[in-house]
Amino acid sequence: MMDDRDDAVFRLPDLGEGLQEAEIVGWHVSAGEHVVTDQPLVSVETDKAVVEVPSPHSGRIKRLCAEAGAVIPVGAPLVEFETAPAADTGTVVGEVAAAPARVRAAPAVRKLAADLGVDLAAVTATGPGGTVTGDDVRAVAATGENGGGDGDDEPLRGPRRAMAANMAAADAVRASVTDRADVESWYALDSGGQDVTERLIRAVARACAAAPALNAWYEAGRGARRLHATVDLGLAVNTDEGLFVPVLRDVANRAADDLRAGLDALKRDVRARTIPPAEMRGATITLSNFGPLGGRHAVMVIPRPQVAIVGAGRAGREPVADSAGGIAVHWLLPLSVTFDHRAVTGAEAAAFLMALKDDLERNA
Amino acid sequence: MTDRVADFHVDFTRFLAPDGTAVAPLPGFFDDPTLRRLYGHMVLARAFDTKAIALQRTGRLGTYAPSLGQEAVAVAVGAAMVDTDVLVPSFREHGAQLVRGVTLQELFLFWAGDERGNDFAGPRQDFPVCIPVGSHAPHAAGVALAFKLRREARAAVCVFGDGATSKGDVYEAMNLAGAWTLPLVFVVANNQWAISVRRAHQTAARTLAQKAVAAGFAGEQVDGNDVVALCHALRQALDRARAGGGPHLIEALTYRLGDHTTADDASRYRDDEEVGRHWKEDPIARLRAHLTARGAWTRDDEEALLTDCAARVEAAARDAQALAPEPAAALFDHLYATLPPALAGQRAALVQAEADHA
Repeated sequence: MMDDRDDAVFRLPDLGEGLQEAEIVGWHVSAGEHVVTDQPLVSVETDKAVVEVPSPHSGRIKRLCAEAGAVIPVGAPLVEFETAPAADTGTVVGEVAAAPARVRAAPAVRKLAADLGVDLAAVTATGPGGTVTGDDVRAVAATGENGGGDGDDEPLRGPRRAMAANMAAADAVRASVTDRADVESWYALDSGGQDVTERLIRAVARACAAAPALNAWYEAGRGARRLHATVDLGLAVNTDEGLFVPVLRDVANRAADDLRAGLDALKRDVRARTIPPAEMRGATITLSNFGPLGGRHAVMVIPRPQVAIVGAGRAGREPVADSAGGIAVHWLLPLSVTFDHRAVTGAEAAAFLMALKDDLERNA
Repeated sequence: MTDRVADFHVDFTRFLAPDGTAVAPLPGFFDDPTLRRLYGHMVLARAFDTKAIALQRTGRLGTYAPSLGQEAVAVAVGAAMVDTDVLVPSFREHGAQLVRGVTLQELFLFWAGDERGNDFAGPRQDFPVCIPVGSHAPHAAGVALAFKLRREARAAVCVFGDGATSKGDVYEAMNLAGAWTLPLVFVVANNQWAISVRRAHQTAARTLAQKAVAAGFAGEQVDGNDVVALCHALRQALDRARAGGGPHLIEALTYRLGDHTTADDASRYRDDEEVGRHWKEDPIARLRAHLTARGAWTRDDEEALLTDCAARVEAAARDAQALAPEPAAALFDHLYATLPPALAGQRAALVQAEADHA
């Protein structure tokens, strides 16, 4: 019998047989309370049952680590106990966890997926409780990119595999707002146009200042959001091998050439595949300038735990009504903002979009 | 013309009504000390249950099958057997194991996945807990056959639930037991639920006891929450079996007050009203009421017993957790007298892997 008891932190045990997570139904105790061994602490709901979890030992509770309604993985902290008399009494701000792999599948299905070279994260689950079934795996294997053709199924690897996993992990309730920025003045200034990406980055930074709710992280498990003081911008970069999203730090406070240098370095590193993994983590909002590749407006996938992604489409010359009531032909840049409606209101998203558009249209 | 060629009946026996009153004079050997001892065993079994669930909920035991409400069945089995008999249990009989000498610490170890919990010092020939439903019935027939071939005056007791009576293994074991007149007593702990399948959906047979009739021996129903009736029926059946009278089946009518296991939530398939009704038949409350009415049990006795049981269970849980884990190779060490070459190779590889990762 194991005794890996850590008196300070009590973690969610596997309450069933190979369960991954549980939802907090309700707490029976509160922080500061003294509890005794086997006293009920919390009711949690697993895939199988609602059960009461008792206290593993006696002690005073320092902190409840999850709120009612939160879904936490097995092994995550449930309760923190007081250990020393001089314990820190300050507010503890939890870390927002990295997106966990949330795929549920039986061992036999996992083996089948491995045998068929199917990434479970990319499979649409149709089984009970969102579990992946053998048929789901076979369906993906059968309709692979070259399924029915003359090629063989190609298991996803590297960046493509990571993309599939990250996209599957996205859990936002998405809504989008779109508009077009009149960027005619850019072309009037110099015929070669500005570096659109750099211009977009600065506009996103200003829009974040106007609508801070979009520069945030939301963690559904804890029902908590965190607004960020700095804008660390995830920049979607396409390569032949897949999608990369390196992060440009603190884009709101960087000088133009510094930003341009950083941008160039990032793109170079990504294409050379030498970018350190740390530089692809921690974005607070993401920009996808897909315009050069094609497409105008898009509903995009929001990387967890961010709450917004900004898309810029392909600019085109279009007729617009000028201030005198006549018709003019201007360069218009299509803009899309997809936001997580759990954490962002429509009004906040609209304010963001308007600030973005205003900044882009400003002749600066 | 038609002749009736077979006919059968099934008796139901009870001595204590749910409120503890005796509906018939108790057999002679049920004196106050005996009844108090049976009561103490049932309370200890329940205390173990409660602690085991708490340990499972805090990640220190694996899946656990509570016996809440069925303590009388297990305790009666343990109490009616003699030392030389052999118990072949399923997974809700820790009450029987405790009475027969398996320790609380060993039981905790077993449910924590530690093989030493099955290697109990107590009744060395008793079988370990059997999780796969009904699969131990043929083993019990084998044990009983051994007794018969050796001409030993011993009997085996095989316990399983209502769900197991639908399984082929159980029919085969019963058929063998009948055909070869084996000294084997089958105890069906009919707790009305095979996980989420209610007894009425399990079989169209009116009783589970009558399944013995098809195998050529008698079956009876006993109030499974009446430890006196159970002990009485079991003793009679065991005496008969040891004397060469062949097998017998006892269907103990009880009720699973708790979940099937800690991985189950019974409230999803049965309502509180039904469970509440069966709490009124609780075997422990029943015997306590009877003892109290006889003047053989006081409030002080009750408090002393509860305190003692809680302390014993706590100490056993602590001792079990303090034990250093056994090596992974223990997986191989309890099934074969001599390990087959293929498994010996696997064992060696595991020992090596464990050493490499030490």
